[in-house]
Amino acid sequence: MSTKKDVKKIREAVKRHKRETYIPVQPDMQMGFVHHNVDCIGCRACEIACKDKNGLAPGPRFRRVQYIEGGTYPDVFAYKVNMSCNHCAEPACLPTCPTGAIFKRKKDGIVDIDSTLCIGCRRCEAACPYGAPQYDPSEIIVKKCNMCVDEIDAGRKPYCVMACMMRVLDIGPIEKIWDSSLQTVALGASDKVSRQVKNMANIELTKPSIGFVAHSKGKLK
Amino acid sequence: MSSNESLNKLQQRLNLSRRSFLKGTATGAGALAAGGLTEMKYGKEAQAFAYEPYPKDNELDTVVTSCAHNCGSRHMLVAHKWKDVIVRLSTDDGSYQKNGHFGKDTMEEPQLRACLRGRSYRQRIYSAERLLYPMLRVGERGEGKFKRVSWDEALNFVVKKMNHIKSTYGPTAILDQSYAGASYGVLHKSDQIEGLLGRFLGMFGCRTNSWSVPSYEATTASSKWTYGTIQDGSEDDTFAESKLMIMWGWNPAYTFHGGNTVMYMRMAKQRGCKFVLIDPQYTDSAAVYDAWWIPIKPNTDAAMMAGMAHYIFSNNLQDQAFIDKFVQGMDAGTMPGWGKNSANGQENFKDYILGTYDGQPKTPEWASKICGVPAKDIIKLADMYATTKPAALKASWGPGRNAYGEQYSRMAAALQSMTGNIGIIGGCAEGVGKGWHAEAVAYPYDQYANIWFQAIKSDRWAHCVLNYPNVKREEVGLWPRQDATDGQIPNIKAIFWQGSDWLNQLTNINKDLAAIKMLELVVCMDSTITPSGIWADVLLPVSTHFERHDTALPWYKGHYYIHRPKVIEPMGESKTDIQIFTELAYRIGGDVFGKAYNPKASRGYFNNNDAVDEAYLREWWETKVMAHQHIEMTWNEFKQHGVYKVKMDKPLVGFRDQIEKGIPFETASGKIEILSSELANIADWKKTKYGYHIPSIPKWIEPWESLNSPKTKDFPFHLISPHPRWRTHSIFNNCSWLRETYEQEVTVNASDAKRLGLKNGDTVEVWNDRGKVVVPVYVTERCMPGVLVLHEGVWMDLDENGVDRSGNPDFLTLDEPSPAGSFAYNTVLCNIQKTKLAHRPGWDQLSTSRAHVFRRDY
Ligand code: SF4
Ligand code: SF4
Ligand code: SF4
Repeated sequence: MSTKKDVKKIREAVKRHKRETYIPVQPDMQMGFVHHNVDCIGCRACEIACKDKNGLAPGPRFRRVQYIEGGTYPDVFAYKVNMSCNHCAEPACLPTCPTGAIFKRKKDGIVDIDSTLCIGCRRCEAACPYGAPQYDPSEIIVKKCNMCVDEIDAGRKPYCVMACMMRVLDIGPIEKIWDSSLQTVALGASDKVSRQVKNMANIELTKPSIGFVAHSKGKLK
Repeated sequence: MSSNESLNKLQQRLNLSRRSFLKGTATGAGALAAGGLTEMKYGKEAQAFAYEPYPKDNELDTVVTSCAHNCGSRHMLVAHKWKDVIVRLSTDDGSYQKNGHFGKDTMEEPQLRACLRGRSYRQRIYSAERLLYPMLRVGERGEGKFKRVSWDEALNFVVKKMNHIKSTYGPTAILDQSYAGASYGVLHKSDQIEGLLGRFLGMFGCRTNSWSVPSYEATTASSKWTYGTIQDGSEDDTFAESKLMIMWGWNPAYTFHGGNTVMYMRMAKQRGCKFVLIDPQYTDSAAVYDAWWIPIKPNTDAAMMAGMAHYIFSNNLQDQAFIDKFVQGMDAGTMPGWGKNSANGQENFKDYILGTYDGQPKTPEWASKICGVPAKDIIKLADMYATTKPAALKASWGPGRNAYGEQYSRMAAALQSMTGNIGIIGGCAEGVGKGWHAEAVAYPYDQYANIWFQAIKSDRWAHCVLNYPNVKREEVGLWPRQDATDGQIPNIKAIFWQGSDWLNQLTNINKDLAAIKMLELVVCMDSTITPSGIWADVLLPVSTHFERHDTALPWYKGHYYIHRPKVIEPMGESKTDIQIFTELAYRIGGDVFGKAYNPKASRGYFNNNDAVDEAYLREWWETKVMAHQHIEMTWNEFKQHGVYKVKMDKPLVGFRDQIEKGIPFETASGKIEILSSELANIADWKKTKYGYHIPSIPKWIEPWESLNSPKTKDFPFHLISPHPRWRTHSIFNNCSWLRETYEQEVTVNASDAKRLGLKNGDTVEVWNDRGKVVVPVYVTERCMPGVLVLHEGVWMDLDENGVDRSGNPDFLTLDEPSPAGSFAYNTVLCNIQKTKLAHRPGWDQLSTSRAHVFRRDY
């Protein structure tokens, strides 16, 4: 399927992009995700809800529930790390975009791609340490999670959060997530939130807006 | 982007793979959508979406409805639609119920969130596999060649054949293989026993019924013998009160029997409940609840339970007061007086366990040799269970789908009652597990509801067809009749499938395929083509539950009703199943049959069913729900909200009244019958539906195939085939979203794999003397050595040599049911090796890799 682009619009965007040096947007308040690595049953209802909402064909997956397992029979363990886009404080994706299609919202720090400006060069895909940008071959552009901005703007929560059968995925102001003070059933009374777990790229790369309740085997020493 | 172009794009997107649908067949809907879309306004900020133009939920119509397939649950789906097209689905967010608001999610009225299968329904409705027109077979049976015909032609073909078959072969010639696959509502109901098809064929006067239920016949039989009812469940919110939960072969993180069950169990965990899993696999349920995993050899559960009972008895840890008051046949003191004079009722359970009768005490050491669990673990678990209260031993259905599976279910009931964990909150008597009783029937229900002329064990049909008339009644589990036809073997010449994919789902498919070639008529009514449908002579397209009016009821756990309005117009020329049966009735027997089958309808029902369906549903709500259940919400108010959640004054606990108020159990003795009065008094087993002897008390009986049998010389692996999470049996196998997140694969223990030279992702063949399948391998430490796991329900795909390339385990299962009728799905020995044959993951050939699985050594 061919996607006609408004070349004039893209040229303007590139010029603007070259004019402005990138200074990370300081959001008024940064929203982020919280996920309980242990209590997640790994059902992927969140993934499917996202695919349905965003009308994605097989291939691109904005949300990815990763299965981690280890140990040796019969002493084994398993847990899940669930990630979409982390709407990073210092997004690695954003400065790589040659057309300026990627932007960060001032209001809540959501990082989004303007699909009308994306030319499908896939640089952001390579730059993101978490595999968030997803190439959609049927449209020849890159797409990713936008935290369901339409739902947030309508006063609701993202589709994935509202899909979670276990209620272990939620969003909130990231500072509250990190200090475990967010009022949410995703966190049990004694659960402490980690910013970094195993099987995840170093958070110093982009300062991702996400927190996890880590599995004992998923904690960094 | 011009508006026309973007419009085309949106249309394509909304219909996913069925792209031509809007343009081609439903021009009406397409034109509406096209006209409407130009009116839609998009602000500048909308340019950020994954596709443009992007309709937001607030710009779409919101319609509450639900899932409808036989997963064991029933959850809310909310359709967001533009004109006649469903743009996306969401689920319960707490705002739809009376006095609801966004985010409301309480213990009393939890949100009814749909699982991943429910969320992918749009791919099913708009799939390329949808049946849109009646079709007649043109090639050989099974070749998959059909031509489109008119309803007239299709129905007349069926009528002519039905009449001929009945007059030539008699009243047993049509086999009812209806199942709960597609139509589980109060009005449109496909069901094995008392569904719409059963009523239709019964009134027609030609029906052989399939009586054993594939899912859970072991536990059904057990609960009926033990408690006199299958209503043995507590609602799942009571699980939050347990202090110890033993998940016996139970994987709620996969089965979602009650979508909130897993959530309530999380509450239990947060309150300090300990979890144990007895299963050959370390399941996700074990991981989530940090369970103590006890791997066990498949089919040996009853032996391990007997070992636990031995420990409990010999340490006097049983709740003797409970036993004395409520149980029959647990020990010598609770034996009925008539026992010694009965055909089969001399033994009590305790003396059996202690070895009084056979000289073999069923000690933990004895059990350990059979089940492979160390004796010290059996002792530890028995001790935990006997000394923790309340404790829930949740005996799931899977281990019952075995040779002598009913002994496992009965043994579990014995443990549950000897520890006094029945009728108390946080305990468990399940079993079947049905809790709250919903008013389930809005369709005409009368003396014709379940008429049959013979009834057989469901997985013996092929045996019956292939060997007729040289078949003994016990071989097919013939249900006794009170008339002269008792014992007559049915002469099956036709099969009717309504919402059923049984050719793909019953045991020993190769035998079924041989049998189906001998039939004179095969009718398939479904919403999509299915592997069974390929083998039909006529395909009748049934509209999905999004395309007709109904109400949903919970299947297993939960207490609510969800309204299901006609969300969109029926796709193509599809009709509802009642429309089809009503029309067939008119064509077979004129007004007399037509009116009798569907009293509220007239001849025009085939083309306009809305008013009649509304009348049935309203009557059901007013005379049953409002009158019997004292629910005050009116039908109109219910329709407006879309959901009614019943508030209970106290948590529903199975058998609470029997224990607290001394109300008798529904058994002959009024007690929990560990010695079954029914079984104890059977002298001639051949004349029963069981066909073969069943002990009156729970006993360990060696299965015909297991890791302990000599057959392991040729077939060293034991295969189990649990329910997948990403399909409901075979439904949804065609949904690419689900297949990109999970792939059909056979699970192998890492040390076995190493020995066989298998790496993760290699393609293997798994075979035994019944068949061969090809599938990729998933190598893991999470599975017991010697055990293979292959999930049921993938759509069979035979190559020219009769090898199934999809990996359907039922090419390997045996069509030998347990005496009580349970399917021996998990009693399978086989072998495995690397192969050059290619796996075919789906009919559309789409192959995507397994989602990220990381193996880390710590
Ligand atoms: S997770 Fe990746 S795509 Fe998302 S903001 Fe960070 S760097 Fe960008
Ligand atoms: S927030 Fe929305 S777009 Fe992002 S993963 Fe969740 S459902 Fe998908
Ligand atoms: S829906 Fe919830 S429980 Fe299921 S995989 Fe996603 S985060 Fe985990």
